[in-house]
Amino acid sequence: MTMTSPDRQVQEQAQEQRPRPAPGTGAAIALSGVTVAYPTQSHEARTVLSGIDLTIPRGEFTALVGRSGCGKTTLLNLIAGLTEPSAGSVTVLGTEPRAARKQLGFMLARDALLPWRTARRNVEYGLELRGVARAKRREIALHWLEAVQLLHAQHQWPWQLSQGMRQRVALARTWALDPAVLLMDEPFAALDVNTRMSAQKKFLELWQAEEHRTVVFVTHDLGEAIALADRVVLLGGGRVLDDVPVEIDRPRDLPMITSDPRYRRLYERLRGQLH
Amino acid sequence: MLGLLLLGLWQLAAAEKWPDPVLAKSPVQSWDYLVSAARSGELWSNTRSTMTAVLIAWALAGLAGVAAGLALGLMPRTERVLSPFLDAANAMPRIALAPLLIVALGIGTSAKVALASTLVFFIVVSGARAGVRSTDAEWLRLSMVLGARKTQLFGKVLLPVATPAIFAALRLGLIYSLLGVVGSELYSARDGLGQLIAYNSSTFQMDAVYGILLLLAVIAVVLNQLMGFLERRLLRWQPPADR
Repeated sequence: MTMTSPDRQVQEQAQEQRPRPAPGTGAAIALSGVTVAYPTQSHEARTVLSGIDLTIPRGEFTALVGRSGCGKTTLLNLIAGLTEPSAGSVTVLGTEPRAARKQLGFMLARDALLPWRTARRNVEYGLELRGVARAKRREIALHWLEAVQLLHAQHQWPWQLSQGMRQRVALARTWALDPAVLLMDEPFAALDVNTRMSAQKKFLELWQAEEHRTVVFVTHDLGEAIALADRVVLLGGGRVLDDVPVEIDRPRDLPMITSDPRYRRLYERLRGQLH
Repeated sequence: MLGLLLLGLWQLAAAEKWPDPVLAKSPVQSWDYLVSAARSGELWSNTRSTMTAVLIAWALAGLAGVAAGLALGLMPRTERVLSPFLDAANAMPRIALAPLLIVALGIGTSAKVALASTLVFFIVVSGARAGVRSTDAEWLRLSMVLGARKTQLFGKVLLPVATPAIFAALRLGLIYSLLGVVGSELYSARDGLGQLIAYNSSTFQMDAVYGILLLLAVIAVVLNQLMGFLERRLLRWQPPADR
């Protein structure tokens, strides 16, 4: 973690071109022939994912898109070790998912801030679970609160923060763990349009400024997936329907990206398969 | 203002000997009784006896109730099995246990504590059980992915989630503890405010009865305020509307 880098430096770095992950650095996540089926009351198993093969290289930002119920959150839960595959195997950072948890960061649609903790103590939460010493926790939390421009709100309770501020605290909590792999389940879906745009921008700034973290980003919003990710994996009916790279240079200008012809082409291609 | 109005009505009823000359005692007469009983030491020794039993019952049954409630909340299968028995025990009019407990435990503190505990326990069990159930699944999901062990999930998520409901139940339980102890004393006891009421009532000293009832009301209000203060301090993370 670049703990010494102040926020301004973080932002300056974000302006520079982010190099693509070097080939041959290995897979961060590998799913091989993964099937997930749940038993139902009628004794017929309901198949949520069927024979998924997916390899995500280290440092890649992959978006998983699809309609509700297509299995994208189940896929994320598999990587997080919250769901076991009925068949096939899942490997995260070369090991089984539960063993890799210490290197995972997790962000949800709802900020999931613990209401009995102040903003700072929420940022410290994951570090506390991982046994980081109190003084170190505080130092890291303050650094990341500053990075999301919320240092002034460190002593506030979650109910005293706006929706956008809460999500920024959740962002700081995720980053404070210095995760090698970031799992994000529709992290900006609950925000209004303007707040979402600024949260996405902040997130990209942080991601682009650092060494490359692998990101798996679940969203139902095609536009968001193309704007943020290196690669979009389209899921439908429990299978991979399409898997396409996003060849738009970084850093990306989020408000303007929709006018990029590459964005339009990709958007039309994926949308055509979604319906 | 309302208190003064009630006091005025009470005084008026006493002056008019309404509804009955035996019952009609004025606030001044009741106050005089409280002052003389306080001077003789009768009031303090009995108040101490009642309050000791109240606090013991509240602490013991509260602790047991929190433990049982949390356990039931975390083990839904066990809860499904035990639930009918708990509901039946809770539905029983507890004051009916007073004769049994007095025969079994005597007229000392134990019987009072036992009766009050049966009231407090079920209140706290249901509070703690409901509290732990109100946990947001997303908090657990996040905590597990961040590497929380089971003990951490309990201490850092489930227990804080249940705290407001546990506190509300303990607050109510304290008043019910007073109710149980005084109920037991009314039936039969060596000492205590309930016993004092029973004695004065049987000798038609209604000024004393009113005085003690007033004292009990004051004790209940003070206990409630004290718990309210503690609750506001401990749960200051809640939005004001939820406190």
